[in-house]
Amino acid sequence: MDIRTMFKGAFEPHPASPGVTRYTNAVLRTQDNKEVRFYDDLIRGKQAVVNFMYAECHGACPLVTKTMIATYNTLKDRMGKDLFFYSITTKPKDDTPAALKHYAETRKANLPGWYFLTGDSFDIETIRFRLFGMNHPGFDLDSAMHAGSLRIINDATNTWLMVEAFASQKTILKRISWADPQKSYAERVVESRARQILINADVKKYGYRRDV
Amino acid sequence: MPKKKAKDRQGIGEETKGTISRRNVLKIGAAAGAATVLAPNVLTSTEALAFQDPIPSEPVICVTPATSPPHHPFVDEFTAPFPAVDTPLNPQPTEFANLGAGEADRAPHPRWAQFTPAHFTYELKARPGLHTFHSDFSPTYIWGFNGRYPAPTCLQKYGKPTIVRFHNNLPVSTTTFGRNEMTIHLHNGHHGSESDGFAGDFFGTGFWKDNHYLNCYAGLNAFGGNGDPKEKMGSFWFHDHRAEFTLNNNVLGMNGMFLVYDPTDPGHEHPSAGSLQLPGYYGVTDFPVILVDHRFCPTENGRTELVNAAGGDKFIINGKIQPKLTVRRRKYRFRFLNTGPTQTYDITLIKPDGSVGTMVVIATDANFLEHPIPVDAGANAGNSNSTTAPIVAGGLRVSVAERYDVVIDFGAFPAGSKLYLKENRAMFVGNPSPDPLPPGLAIENVLLQFNVVNTEAWFPRDTPAIPSTLCTYPTLPATDNTFEWQFVRDPVGSVPRLFKINGFAFDPEIPRHCILQDTCEEWLLNNNVGGSAWVHPVHIHFEESRTLKRFVNGVEVPVAPLLSGRKDVNRLEAGQGALIKMQFRDISGRYLIHCHNMAHEDAFMMVRWDIVPDAAAKAACDALMAQGLKELGSKVRNEEVA
Repeated sequence: MDIRTMFKGAFEPHPASPGVTRYTNAVLRTQDNKEVRFYDDLIRGKQAVVNFMYAECHGACPLVTKTMIATYNTLKDRMGKDLFFYSITTKPKDDTPAALKHYAETRKANLPGWYFLTGDSFDIETIRFRLFGMNHPGFDLDSAMHAGSLRIINDATNTWLMVEAFASQKTILKRISWADPQKSYAERVVESRARQILINADVKKYGYRRDV
Repeated sequence: MPKKKAKDRQGIGEETKGTISRRNVLKIGAAAGAATVLAPNVLTSTEALAFQDPIPSEPVICVTPATSPPHHPFVDEFTAPFPAVDTPLNPQPTEFANLGAGEADRAPHPRWAQFTPAHFTYELKARPGLHTFHSDFSPTYIWGFNGRYPAPTCLQKYGKPTIVRFHNNLPVSTTTFGRNEMTIHLHNGHHGSESDGFAGDFFGTGFWKDNHYLNCYAGLNAFGGNGDPKEKMGSFWFHDHRAEFTLNNNVLGMNGMFLVYDPTDPGHEHPSAGSLQLPGYYGVTDFPVILVDHRFCPTENGRTELVNAAGGDKFIINGKIQPKLTVRRRKYRFRFLNTGPTQTYDITLIKPDGSVGTMVVIATDANFLEHPIPVDAGANAGNSNSTTAPIVAGGLRVSVAERYDVVIDFGAFPAGSKLYLKENRAMFVGNPSPDPLPPGLAIENVLLQFNVVNTEAWFPRDTPAIPSTLCTYPTLPATDNTFEWQFVRDPVGSVPRLFKINGFAFDPEIPRHCILQDTCEEWLLNNNVGGSAWVHPVHIHFEESRTLKRFVNGVEVPVAPLLSGRKDVNRLEAGQGALIKMQFRDISGRYLIHCHNMAHEDAFMMVRWDIVPDAAAKAACDALMAQGLKELGSKVRNEEVA
């Protein structure tokens, strides 16, 4: 059993988590037609990566899904345990759970810890505003705009980040790690020492710190 | 207020369970206030007090209220932040990161042998503290250097390299909107990338990091010694630059001033060799003016907390709301700095008769103008730099991170006169002005009240007239390369719609431009790109730029006098562009160009560029850049989803 889950009880939200006031507790359906509540079942105390897509999309969505599969494979050990992916449809009227399942299966994305979600269109619009809203009606009313970015949430640490889905894997993984529960000082010292060795090698090679 | 505090104090002891109770907080707030009032000049003791302040309990942030609580205007005194006290460092600073002693990983300090700090070093600890923004408010939870907002000001001299040891003593777990990791940028120092607050090089709680500030003029290789004195700068500031959390951490208070003096601008007013004899006694006749917008929660449980939102309804000036300053009938220097986080200020000086007074601009972004430029609504109306809507007659437009040093002469006003600094936007006050305001001025627009008194015998005499020539700019070499940076939010219909530069969202791993060290480039900064309707104060790290041309909607326009000086923040309003020229000398490393609207830079409007030491490194940098482009190119970009 993963050590993380062994010592972790129920998922606990951070005391300052905005909870349902930001995330809503809307009832959504997964690709397996299972009912879930957005905050209580999907966000509460968890780390998650959220994006918006729809099944009939042939432009960016499959590419974003592909990127997410690569990310998933790197983080496989954590997926479904303390890290989750949520792909929410922007066209809930067209995308039934079955349609989303078909999309996930054809893209080889029907994986544990990764939910494709549909639901009431008002609820989904609300969630999209709450997660990707930039407080600017000119942008927020454009339903196409948020498909290419990933929202990274860790409700246990109350962390709230975004990354461009078109960034490199290295950058995406780094951003997700920024939302990880904070490591102990001792762990960070070990990391810092390892990084220093790389920095020194970099400076020797290029004349300046370049890749670390 | 005192009555309430006294009553609260009676209950101490009931609820102190190892952590600090709100009653103790109140007590400490009262004690700190008393120390400030009784001993304004004993800096060391108040600094020592700041170190001893207990860590305040975490705030309970409210749901964003329609307005902040009301306040009474002109209650608090306007003061300069305390100067930082130099501290011997233990352990001694080292060229290479001192991991064993708890320093964070970093590249070695460049040019260490030449610029070993021998004299003054500083220790600034980022930690939670309490700050009272207005006497009507209870203390507010902030993150400040040494627990202070604004941070202590570092007063520096050219030729005296220094180390500022930044400790991260922020809380390990926090309920605030801040991020407990930091990377401190000195804006706009000429120093190594490891001390430049590169946005990706943040360090966590428990570590410290030495930032090595050379306090040299740019041009070390060409001029030798301490560089080219014509590159002199003055009003620097330092602030947290943590990627994606710059706004949050700066709103919580992680910024301060850093002034560097040289023989022309020595920090005093005596006649001395080369001195311009400008008003120059820090905190007496020379004041930083640090502006920021905040919104506050209603006062509850002895605290008035900050709201987690950009766009405040209180304008804070050196940490106070609508303070007052007693001025003598002489010249004063004010160093405006807008710390945002997002809004642009249009500042005018209002005379007692309601007309616009003259502010003489002597420096733009830390650089002296060659000739001072007066700004007012009369004869000098053409010098105003608010040339696009809203046009404010005689106004000085200060976008985020811009600095303007102005001299105001109160000599012409009789004792008893009251002058005002006015901001074009309105704040929420909730109480009438205690003094009759000049005609046409609303209390909601007032930043600061000046009360003119006769110069007492003990007060420094007036300085001579401002010299008509302040400096001579260095001659720029021939251009080696040209480059264009486009500042745009992705157009409607594209995916995704982020704030970007040249189509790139910030990626600390990939440079988007590689520059050979000791070369000179012309950069076109372009905000006239499809659908841009935003103001972008564009900041370039490392060296100052000269503006060659300005454009409005692609058409060349004359460079406004106030924008013709050396700058490090080029404000691009919608449709505007600037052709600038700058050098990349002395040191290699990773640096940044970004929009200094902190909401925009956190939404990725930031790009890394590298200065490389030689041709081989340039080839390697170009290869890394190409690899980054390939990664992006392998995916369809800017393609419509539907």
